[in-house]
Amino acid sequence: MPVTADIIIEIGSVLRDYCGGAPELTLLAATVREALAQIEQQQPALYRSVCDETGAVRRHVGVFVNDTHIRDRDGLDTALVPGDAITILPAVSGG
Amino acid sequence: MPERVLLTIGTKKGLFVAEGAKNRRSFSLRGPFGSGVAVYSTLVDTRARPTIYASSCNAFFGMKVLRSTDLGKTFKETKSAPTFPKDDGRALINIWSLEPGAGKKDLWCGVEPASLFRSEDGGDSWQMIEGISNHEHARKWQPGNGGLCLHTIVRHGNRVHLGISTGGHYLSEDGGATYTASNSGVGAGFVPDPYPEFGQCVHKIAQHNAAPGRLYMQNHGGWAERPGIGVLRSDDYGHTWRSIANGLPSDFGFPIVVHPEDPDTVYVMPLEPMTRTCPDGAPAVWRSENGGDSWKRLAHGLPKKETYFTVQRDALDIDEVKSPALYFGTTTGQLWMGRDGGEDWECLFDALPPIHNVKATVV
Repeated sequence: MPVTADIIIEIGSVLRDYCGGAPELTLLAATVREALAQIEQQQPALYRSVCDETGAVRRHVGVFVNDTHIRDRDGLDTALVPGDAITILPAVSGG
Repeated sequence: MPERVLLTIGTKKGLFVAEGAKNRRSFSLRGPFGSGVAVYSTLVDTRARPTIYASSCNAFFGMKVLRSTDLGKTFKETKSAPTFPKDDGRALINIWSLEPGAGKKDLWCGVEPASLFRSEDGGDSWQMIEGISNHEHARKWQPGNGGLCLHTIVRHGNRVHLGISTGGHYLSEDGGATYTASNSGVGAGFVPDPYPEFGQCVHKIAQHNAAPGRLYMQNHGGWAERPGIGVLRSDDYGHTWRSIANGLPSDFGFPIVVHPEDPDTVYVMPLEPMTRTCPDGAPAVWRSENGGDSWKRLAHGLPKKETYFTVQRDALDIDEVKSPALYFGTTTGQLWMGRDGGEDWECLFDALPPIHNVKATVV
């Protein structure tokens, strides 16, 4: 039985239209993958803006656990502990 | 309100809407709408209360469909955009085509990677059409420079023509459920077989509603070894095609447009095939009034030299006012209008973002 944790999801302002304007969400999850799966259930429009149909995080979206990008930890399998914050932001890109 | 001409202009930096009286003396511009990202497809749906749809290619947060019910003064995203089934393995990259379906709220949508979706509720929900999206050829199609896109949807009765780059022309004669590659006479310069069953780089297909058996195609031409395969015509509902490129300065180009009242009058914008820009730096639209048997250059008012833009596949259109005007948008951000069927050109806007899409509609 995986250990789950109270996690805060901090939503960048450009994404808040997809979750009713909420600046943050709270959920229980043991990994980032589990957190995103819950977002898919609870806030499908937000999920679609963060992940594509294959479940991959979109190329120009940054997902951080506390201050660390998940690519520098274990990606979607990054483990979470109570009180962790997942921040979702647009990546620096454009032209 | 008197009838107006509405121009929807999809650009690299969002959607613009220009509106003018039917005399087209001047146009007012509003926008950009959307989140500052590319718009490759627009539709002004006049079947009921006029509704504007536009794709919004958000590189950050995925594809969105924008909708306006106030003639383009405000836009909102629809409840969802087309989405591949979870177990499909493909992910939506772009929306290339939005066309009206049979019912008042039916929409058809061509996407990249090349697939077809339909909505029955004005774009709030979408269903993938298996007959083409999972066609036995679908996993063999290859992307062109613009991506593997289903960019053209032409419907008439039970017939549906699809243009795929690079997949070729696919024809349905059962209302859009099943499709057959229908490329007899459609050449390809990039594979050993000059006339393959499928895999051609079709750029655009056009049809006149009153003559549905007649179709025109701008195919990927410009091949020295295989001349004339770029501009084609069919007189049998798209079963066979033949070249009508004789007389053009180049058979390479992207858009092809039919006159709203005359199925024999067709317009193309030939480009130099290597650079895909205006031949000799002098842009021109070419018109045939006899179904492609001969062509006339239309350039009065256009720059005569040192001009090297591209006009993309959906960036040429014609309105339905008496003595219609043509419109084209350029990759350098200019929107041109050609009065009297392209006889006399003027620049309406000269500093927009690079233009992908122009649609002209009387509302």
